[in-house]
Amino acid sequence: MKQAKILVLVVIALLPLILVSCASWGTQAAGGWSGTAVHEGVIYTGTRDGRVVAINSSTENLEWSYSIAPVTAPSGGLSCGDASVPTAIYGTPVADRDIVYIGTYGGQVLALNMLARSQNLSFPQQRYGEWEWYCPMDNARSNAIVADLIVSEGAIYVSSSNGRVYSLDKEFGDLNWESEILDEKHRKLWTSPVIQGNTLYASTYDGHIYALSLETEELSDWSFELEAGFSSSPVIYEDTIFLGSFDRYLYAVKIGSDVPIWKFPQEEPAGNWFWASPVINEGIVYACCLDGKLYAIEAKTGEKLWEFDAGNHLVSSPVLMDNLLIVIDKSGTVYVFDLSAELEGEAMPLRTISIGDAVSSPFCAQEGLVYIRSEDNWIYVVDIDKGGVSWKVSLSIEE
Amino acid sequence: MIEVWHLIIGNPVLNVLIALSHILGGSFGSAIIVLTVIVRLVSWPLTKRQLNSTKALQDMQPKIQELQKKYGKNQRKLQQETMKIYKEAGVNPLGCLWPMLIQFPIWIALYQAIMSALATTPESLLGLAQRLYSWEVVNQAIPLSSNFLGLDLGSSGNFILAIIVGGTMWVQQKMTQAPAVDPRQESTQRMMTLMMPLMFGFLTLIMPSGLALYWAVSTIIGIITQYFFTGGWGYLKFRSPFQSTPATGK
Repeated sequence: MKQAKILVLVVIALLPLILVSCASWGTQAAGGWSGTAVHEGVIYTGTRDGRVVAINSSTENLEWSYSIAPVTAPSGGLSCGDASVPTAIYGTPVADRDIVYIGTYGGQVLALNMLARSQNLSFPQQRYGEWEWYCPMDNARSNAIVADLIVSEGAIYVSSSNGRVYSLDKEFGDLNWESEILDEKHRKLWTSPVIQGNTLYASTYDGHIYALSLETEELSDWSFELEAGFSSSPVIYEDTIFLGSFDRYLYAVKIGSDVPIWKFPQEEPAGNWFWASPVINEGIVYACCLDGKLYAIEAKTGEKLWEFDAGNHLVSSPVLMDNLLIVIDKSGTVYVFDLSAELEGEAMPLRTISIGDAVSSPFCAQEGLVYIRSEDNWIYVVDIDKGGVSWKVSLSIEE
Repeated sequence: MIEVWHLIIGNPVLNVLIALSHILGGSFGSAIIVLTVIVRLVSWPLTKRQLNSTKALQDMQPKIQELQKKYGKNQRKLQQETMKIYKEAGVNPLGCLWPMLIQFPIWIALYQAIMSALATTPESLLGLAQRLYSWEVVNQAIPLSSNFLGLDLGSSGNFILAIIVGGTMWVQQKMTQAPAVDPRQESTQRMMTLMMPLMFGFLTLIMPSGLALYWAVSTIIGIITQYFFTGGWGYLKFRSPFQSTPATGK
């Protein structure tokens, strides 16, 4: 009887502890995977502690850093209150003239003036063209911004987790218009739209591609529907949209058509999702898959030209630099392919460089250098010709 | 350790839940309910043992009441004699805890499955890719919608659900709880009967509603099974003889 009582007490005491301690096995907190952008010799990225940073690529020094206001979030575990946490940044900053635009998981869009930030002035400095816009919650739905911002000549387009696309005035941050809810079921518009001409194309997790007229602000009559959701952002090449799906296929959809031109692989699905957007060059689609394979596919027919197995998840989109194709796997290994060489079958990279740090973020490449933000909050600059890391800098604030 | 857990329990529960969701027209809530029924069916041998034990306890009530009359003033003797009767009948009054303990891994796996499947953060969605089977029915279902009958299954803090979970759990506890043989045991039992529903009610407030839905449905199935198996409400309406008299413990 005494043993049974002890058992009861142990069960009562351990139940919440077991459940809460196992929480981290099932879910991951929003940390952000902002990529790198290089503009006039300065590298821009969002850090895991909620800052936008600018690093001079010549001096390798921090030009400026701006901490975005923290957000309140449920503290989780056994405590019931809310806690103030750094806002996560998933989108890659967009530098345009002297302004850097960024969207946050806290639902903010910020226009940061490079000069005002380097002088560490209070934000926003309207005389410098700075502004801040808060995405509405829309019936208590999350207003988190995960997708990259699309910056055009006069407007900024924002995809929000509440399922809408917003158009903002580029100069003042005023709302131009908002779309209807594109994904009522999931309310997670986490893929970035793409603009061609006067139309914005957005893919959704409920398996739709929508066309939104930028002139009339209305949805076009044409939309494409698939049973499975689309996992990657759309890419347009010669009036055809290329994008990956959760059903483990890559699709080519002619704008205006109800059926895909092709899906890849043509028979059995791939080993995992095509999470990253493909890149297209001279009629060839280069697509990274989470199964660790890079595929080169004929854009018109969907025929496989060659493939490469990295043996590790390929999360980031490939990047083209002149005649080189650069791919980075999750473990931080950089693979460089020479597209001018005749690649076929099981292709081999021209160079393989390891940075020794995990990578899930988009990256960019310019003038022989690859700019990578690692999951451990470092910026690595890889020199392709030298075949190694040229320099690196920590984005963490030193205590 | 985590990989082994995912391989043996976590991933099967997650994939079955997602597959069920797709089969049931994309309703994640319905998938949780169906999975609950499956879990109850699988654990039926244990439940049956527990119900048999409850029924045996009910049947021996006249004998226990006789003992209470006989040894009412000698609590130690009363306890000894009662335990003797339990032993002879092969009944453990707290045997109902074992099915609950065995369900622990399922609760943990289900909690993880709900959080993973709903992918509330972009990292969770990306992490899901590593845990899914290549079944077409699973890949067609991703990502899932968290809405079910006005509930957001991925969020916590639903008071109505907390009351339902706590209330049904209290009813089930009362139905199965054998009467105490002395005032001290009576007070322990009363504490337990209150503590467990309160604890689960609190957990409902801090855990995702999907898990609370599992608890509520599982408990309701338990009550229904109990009602038909033991032929009534068990000890729900039973009034303890120690409640009216002050307990001295001597």
